[in-house]
Amino acid sequence: MKARTRAAALLLTPFFLLFTAVLVVPIGYAVWLSLFTEKQSGLGFGGAETVFAGLGNYTAALGDRAFREGFGVLLGYCLLYLPLLLGGALGLALLLDTALARARRFFQLALFLPHAVPGIIAALIWVYLYTPQLSPVVQAMEAGGIGFDFFSPGGALPSVVNIALWEWLGYNLIIFYAALQAIDRSVLEAATVDGAGAWRTAFSVKIPLLRGSLTMVGLFTVIGSLQLFTEPLILSRGTGSAVTSTWTPNMYAYSAAFDRNDYGLAAAASILLALTAALLSFAVTRLAAGKKDRKERTA
Amino acid sequence: MSLSRTTRVIACLATVTALTSLTACGGGGDDAAGKPDGPVTLTFWGWAKGTKDVVDAFNASHTGIKVKFEEIPSGTAGGYAKISNAVKAGNAPDLVSIEYPSLPEFVSSGALQDIGDAFTEADRAKFLPQAIDLTTLGGKNWAVPFDAAPQAFFYRKDLFEKYKVTVPTTWDEFRTAAEQVRKADAKARIATFFPDDPTTFEAMAWQAGAQWFKAGEDSWKIDTADAATTRVTAYWQGLLDDGLVHKNASFSPEWTGSLKNGTTLGYLGASWGAGVLKGTLPEQSGKWAVAPVPSWDGKPASGMLGGSTFAVTKDSRNKAAAVEFAKWMTTTEEGVKARIASGTSSAFPAATALRPTAKKAFDASFYGGQDIYALFETAGASIGKNWSWGPTTGTTNTTIKDRFGAVTAGGPTLADAVKAGHDATVAELTRRGLKVEG
Repeated sequence: MKARTRAAALLLTPFFLLFTAVLVVPIGYAVWLSLFTEKQSGLGFGGAETVFAGLGNYTAALGDRAFREGFGVLLGYCLLYLPLLLGGALGLALLLDTALARARRFFQLALFLPHAVPGIIAALIWVYLYTPQLSPVVQAMEAGGIGFDFFSPGGALPSVVNIALWEWLGYNLIIFYAALQAIDRSVLEAATVDGAGAWRTAFSVKIPLLRGSLTMVGLFTVIGSLQLFTEPLILSRGTGSAVTSTWTPNMYAYSAAFDRNDYGLAAAASILLALTAALLSFAVTRLAAGKKDRKERTA
Repeated sequence: MSLSRTTRVIACLATVTALTSLTACGGGGDDAAGKPDGPVTLTFWGWAKGTKDVVDAFNASHTGIKVKFEEIPSGTAGGYAKISNAVKAGNAPDLVSIEYPSLPEFVSSGALQDIGDAFTEADRAKFLPQAIDLTTLGGKNWAVPFDAAPQAFFYRKDLFEKYKVTVPTTWDEFRTAAEQVRKADAKARIATFFPDDPTTFEAMAWQAGAQWFKAGEDSWKIDTADAATTRVTAYWQGLLDDGLVHKNASFSPEWTGSLKNGTTLGYLGASWGAGVLKGTLPEQSGKWAVAPVPSWDGKPASGMLGGSTFAVTKDSRNKAAAVEFAKWMTTTEEGVKARIASGTSSAFPAATALRPTAKKAFDASFYGGQDIYALFETAGASIGKNWSWGPTTGTTNTTIKDRFGAVTAGGPTLADAVKAGHDATVAELTRRGLKVEG
């Protein structure tokens, strides 16, 4: 027994070392930072004094319209992004599932490739494609009579959603495709024998069987969206676009620390965001688990 | 203790890890402190053009001080964040580059040290008084100024001639010229409004006589609703509304592209821009010229746009050596020559005696051999003396930049953006515990 404990401790050590160094310590430090603020006096050139602020930074963040608007942007982003992502990935997966075997492999790879491009590179490429004077896309659109300014206040959200779609569609497509492949072929054969065509099979057999994957992808996407940062940051710097430096809560924290030198506020904003993500994950997983329980009970 | 052995082992390891990571952040940056007899090694962070050449020249001619230069991204592109973080972590370099607008913010966050004892009255007398004013805050000296950055208007001489446009000397003439340019080529514009760079706009307000940040006895007065600012705001709003200027980010690919294909004919910049254009558009050599920035009454007037200073960080133990190196870069012939001879810098030294040196070192063939330093000289003397920067420039400029991006026809205006910047500045000063009117 003792030997087993020792072995367990030994095997767990690397995990706990890293867990402590890269997660527990930074979070603890952020919480600590969030409780302090810098106060100055006179004209402010006598240096700053660090004073205990209690929850002052939290109320300051929550009281700041820019921070609250960031959550509004996230909501709008999810409302636009989620249906497009789920619909697009599902539709393509169903198409792949019915395609010829050779075409299948090609499209699988082609659609997945964008995901291999790091987010920051993708954003840089898209900024180029959005820039009116440089972009062949914008020029072609203008020639076709479609004038759309990707950097305008109204264009900001669609611009970011488009980059995210490009990055994540292929990835989620693979998940759905794998789930489709896992469907028992006899079920599909039964559908065919019963006279169901391709459409009927897709809507009445395949999609209902994919419900688990759909929920999972939806959940991960929403939680991932809370962290929205890289793509809008690239759009906000050096393009003159309407994406502000506090566009999402994550960007708000970044701007508080590095534009305003206010580390306490930045830490408080980050912790508020982390709490939101934790609560949301908890709620959704409980909801999903509850549904499953009920289903098992009725079955 | 009821802790199991495993828990104790883990807790112990966790503590060790935590301690190691904390100590890893501290220290560093002052390797030479322990051995005062050997040469002092300085670390220096900067990004200005030609800096590496200056450091190499210094190291080649000095034995007592060795400078280790590390290039960082330019200030607002991430350089300032890097410096703040390093100061916070306790491993900042000895000497850093900071532009005038951001200096008060670094001073007020306590990131720098007073260099008054090493940068003496006699040293300060060598510089343009405006530059010394901007680096003297709360009665102490915080940085060695490197360049003064008077505004200038760079333009395509060949295209101005081709389109028969006269070079404007007043802002009214500038508007007329802008209309002529657009008439001659529907795609071309005389210049660009930079929505991502409030400092260009602020230089215009400065030139017009605005004074956004006024330091009183022990309180700040923020004033952005004065006649000068209102005038500048309305003027640029008019140019934007009537489509007389491009609206592109500064130094962005689209800006460069439009310069390359001749659809942007001019650039409202500052002295250092001469080197930037020369480096960006080598194929257009000889086609450019420089004119004084237009003014409201036709008399020389200028704001200051950018411009670097060198400051010593608070934990540096090599203040004397750092200031000596900074003085060498800014006030000696060798220092200035090394930077400008690199070919990419057109810095206009704040140390007045060195302007002939800079002029001689700069190859002006890009500007058809024009005496651009004589022009900077006049412009430099006309830099408005009232302007100073506040300790919350980061907040002010980020807010204005964000709002400039949203300025559209029929939507928010430049005046809205300036107002938002004003309000954010007042709120931030208050939050830091400072007294403020406005």
